[in-house]
Amino acid sequence: MKRSQFLALFTAPALALLPGCGKSGDSAAAPGSTAPSGGGAAKKVTVAFLPKSKGNLYFGTCEKGARVAAKELGIDFLFDGPTNTDPAKQNEIVENWITLGVDVIAVSCENPEGISSALKKAQTKGVKVVTYDSDSAPDARSFFVNQATAQGIGEALMDNAAQLVGEEGEFAIIAGSLTAANMNEWRKYIEARLAEKYPKMKLVATKPCDDQKDKAQQETTNLLGAYPNLKCVMAISSLAVPGAAEAVKQAGKTGVVKVMGLGLPSENRAYVKEGVTQSVILWNVEDLGYLTVQTAVALANGTLKAGDKTLKAGRLNEVEVNGTSVLLGKPLVFTKENIDQFQF
Amino acid sequence: MRSPSKSSIQGLLLRHEVLLLGLLFVEILFFLNNARNFGTPENLSNILRHSAEIGLLALAMMPVVLTGGIDLSVGSTLGLCAVLLGVMTHSWHWATFPAALATIGFGGVAGGINALLITTLRLPPLIVTLGTYSLFRGLAEAITQGSKTYREFEPSFLGLAEQQFAGIPIQGWVLVAGALFFGLLVHSTTFGRSFRAIGYSPEGTRYAGIPVLWRTALPYLLTGFTAGIAALLFTARLRQARADAGSGYELAAITAVVLGGTSIFGGSGTVYGTLTGVAAIALLSNGISRIPAVLQAGIGGELASLLTGALLLIALATPKLLKILQDRKRDQTA
Amino acid sequence: MNRYFRELSVASALLLLLGVLAIWAPHFYQPQPLLSRFTAQSPTLILTIGMTLVMLVRQIDISVGSQFGICAVVAGLLAGKGLPMPLVFLATLTTGTLMGALNGTLVATLGLPSIVVSLATMVTWAEVLRLTQQGRLINLPEGTQWFGLSQVNGQLLILAGAIAFLTFSAWFLKNRAAGRFVYAVGSDAEAARLAGINPKTTTFMVFAVMGALSGLAALINLVQSPQVDPKCGVGLELRAIAAAVVGGVAVSGGRGRLWGTFLGLLLLSTINPALTFLHVEAYWEKAIQGLVILLAVVADGFRSRNQNA
Repeated sequence: MKRSQFLALFTAPALALLPGCGKSGDSAAAPGSTAPSGGGAAKKVTVAFLPKSKGNLYFGTCEKGARVAAKELGIDFLFDGPTNTDPAKQNEIVENWITLGVDVIAVSCENPEGISSALKKAQTKGVKVVTYDSDSAPDARSFFVNQATAQGIGEALMDNAAQLVGEEGEFAIIAGSLTAANMNEWRKYIEARLAEKYPKMKLVATKPCDDQKDKAQQETTNLLGAYPNLKCVMAISSLAVPGAAEAVKQAGKTGVVKVMGLGLPSENRAYVKEGVTQSVILWNVEDLGYLTVQTAVALANGTLKAGDKTLKAGRLNEVEVNGTSVLLGKPLVFTKENIDQFQF
Repeated sequence: MRSPSKSSIQGLLLRHEVLLLGLLFVEILFFLNNARNFGTPENLSNILRHSAEIGLLALAMMPVVLTGGIDLSVGSTLGLCAVLLGVMTHSWHWATFPAALATIGFGGVAGGINALLITTLRLPPLIVTLGTYSLFRGLAEAITQGSKTYREFEPSFLGLAEQQFAGIPIQGWVLVAGALFFGLLVHSTTFGRSFRAIGYSPEGTRYAGIPVLWRTALPYLLTGFTAGIAALLFTARLRQARADAGSGYELAAITAVVLGGTSIFGGSGTVYGTLTGVAAIALLSNGISRIPAVLQAGIGGELASLLTGALLLIALATPKLLKILQDRKRDQTA
Repeated sequence: MNRYFRELSVASALLLLLGVLAIWAPHFYQPQPLLSRFTAQSPTLILTIGMTLVMLVRQIDISVGSQFGICAVVAGLLAGKGLPMPLVFLATLTTGTLMGALNGTLVATLGLPSIVVSLATMVTWAEVLRLTQQGRLINLPEGTQWFGLSQVNGQLLILAGAIAFLTFSAWFLKNRAAGRFVYAVGSDAEAARLAGINPKTTTFMVFAVMGALSGLAALINLVQSPQVDPKCGVGLELRAIAAAVVGGVAVSGGRGRLWGTFLGLLLLSTINPALTFLHVEAYWEKAIQGLVILLAVVADGFRSRNQNA
């Protein structure tokens, strides 16, 4: 892994300073010489990549795809993000990057309103901005790499749940947290779709799981007891899906209470195959990161301009551009039949 | 907990703060050489803007810790105040100025609740503020039903967060005012001396005829008011008020206070030490994220936290280790 | 009566809550989900036992959540490598003990304040977890869950084990010399020293035991699910501290009983499901939790004030 290599790189010289540890200097030289030479190179595009938070598999997978694209294009790739729940952290990182002299900032916005002012500041300083995953205000960025709109996600989730339960019965939502802006957007569209199309379904409760699998499991166990007629659990945070599935399985309600939601195939494979979880919806997260960096670099090089209809994006070939949205393609629905084809 | 003698405490304190200043100096030198665009005016003003809220909370926390107490509820108070500001301006359609004043007032009320429980019922501050930590954050969540975000505040209010006066951002001036206020309070008034005395020995202070209850209450009231002010800065800077504002700020503030040399058991510490602690942490987290190799590896945030933790331990352990070594040497010579 | 005031008041609050549930949400008492809920709280119970010890010696440990996470990941990775379970258990307990011993060394030997030491180690372990795991779930080999037993047997075994451990710990604290040392050091370290107890050793041991218990708790958590979440320990320190406080353990050390802690944990961990069963919106949970903690300490405050007066 990149990180462990780096850690070795960081600690080896420190050890070398201690008497008697001189030997480690040799091993430090090896990774050191392969490391990129930083700011010394000629005009190399620098893309700074900001996730909503670090330390979760979703953005970790995004980063992986982004690094692949960065390597292909031979650019300088910078990465940082909030490690804690402090909602101010994203703004701080963007404002720091402005003074760092990067060419493009790619960001998945936790707080669209707050971060847009920082992004506009970046634009006035000549830094180009693309958003991915979760958009800012439209005038604060040049392009949005759009994996699916909040409306698209909300409606896909609601439609899928309705289909699983025959458009009838009670269901509950397990969310990552009650405050996360994107989940609130999704919930808004889920509820709108529910009111509009599925009069016989009822949303009985929405519970937060603090993005922890065990908490999602406990909340689901409680929901199953408290609402004996529950037909479906919709988990809209990636760790909530396996948590909800385990609870349903332990309650002996496999197949009776359907489990579905947004999640990564690798974390849900066992439950989907057992038939506890019926379907997991997600876009190709690695491609999302990949396409974001492709878009950022094309923007910096001037090969992507306002009004373009397509973008040539490396291994993804021609990608459709609609207005200022670069489209990743439709969300994937993973079921028992196809889940083995996806490795992320 | 019981310290050997006053003079040796002061000796250690002196050493601690000298140590910290030296470290700050090394940090600055290192980052000037290794971190990209660290010393630019824009970056320095960003550091001020970003650390103002935690800095203010740390300054207010200092007298609390000095009396031997702790306030875990400051981050939650900030969150509750930010949400109340949103309620007043959006749901009640108050003008921003009276709403802002009322926000500070609500902060005071929150601090007052802590103070009341801690002093009149003689309850341990750690436990009371652990309870209000949950309660205040919980109220903020209940008011917003967890999900409501207040946006679109008055532009002149939001503009405050971006403005400069004499080349220094407004937040910097607020921080200076806070530092002067708490510095004078702690070091130049009888109040301040009684904080120290209470932290050193509450019983002794009572026998000395000092009104211990009221003077223990005051620091908690002040942290409440300060959290209200910090909520205003926070809301203006982020252009939104939401129930999770200020999450985790209590630990950041305590870290700065302790790193700044105030004893967590009370009785010793200085306000300028706290300021140095705030600066050391702010510069570290900013500078680390500007080192090219760190940025490429994408571990700026993690490294900053790790180093802050290490710094805290080293700063606390070094004087103790020195003392142990000294004692050993003395034993050998004797 | 007076001596068990806190235990009795927590127990009556719990009974009240259970009574409300019996009337308005009798589903709460279905045996299978009840068993699942209790089993899911067993790891927290183990942590709470450790936290009670730590608080009894007038210290605090806010790194237990991070320690728990590290232990869970170590156990998960080793089990995933196909190591036999007894070895996995041993390695995990050792990891926990070492982390606890680090806290213990810094607190007992160097005399650093435990709240600061454990704040630093909490941050350190949490960042190590983030850097190495990236939030990735670890899949466990088949047969790990419920020790390879059936679900009900596995749950009963875990629950019986946790209760047995609680009973043993309570007995140990009350009747063995080492247990009395804990109270002695927490009440007055100097007096304890004069009585021939080494406060430093006792404090160190308590932290080491806390670390070992984090490992044990992580293992009990691990066998309840086929996957390990590296973030599984986040926030557990506050739950353990809150349970101890509500159960009557004094932060000033030397006062408190494990049965009180147990009742405190039962009360706190009943609130969350109770709210779901009573159809209360989720956003009230944190406020109600905070209120319960405050009520418990305020009741104590009034009582001790009346006694003093």
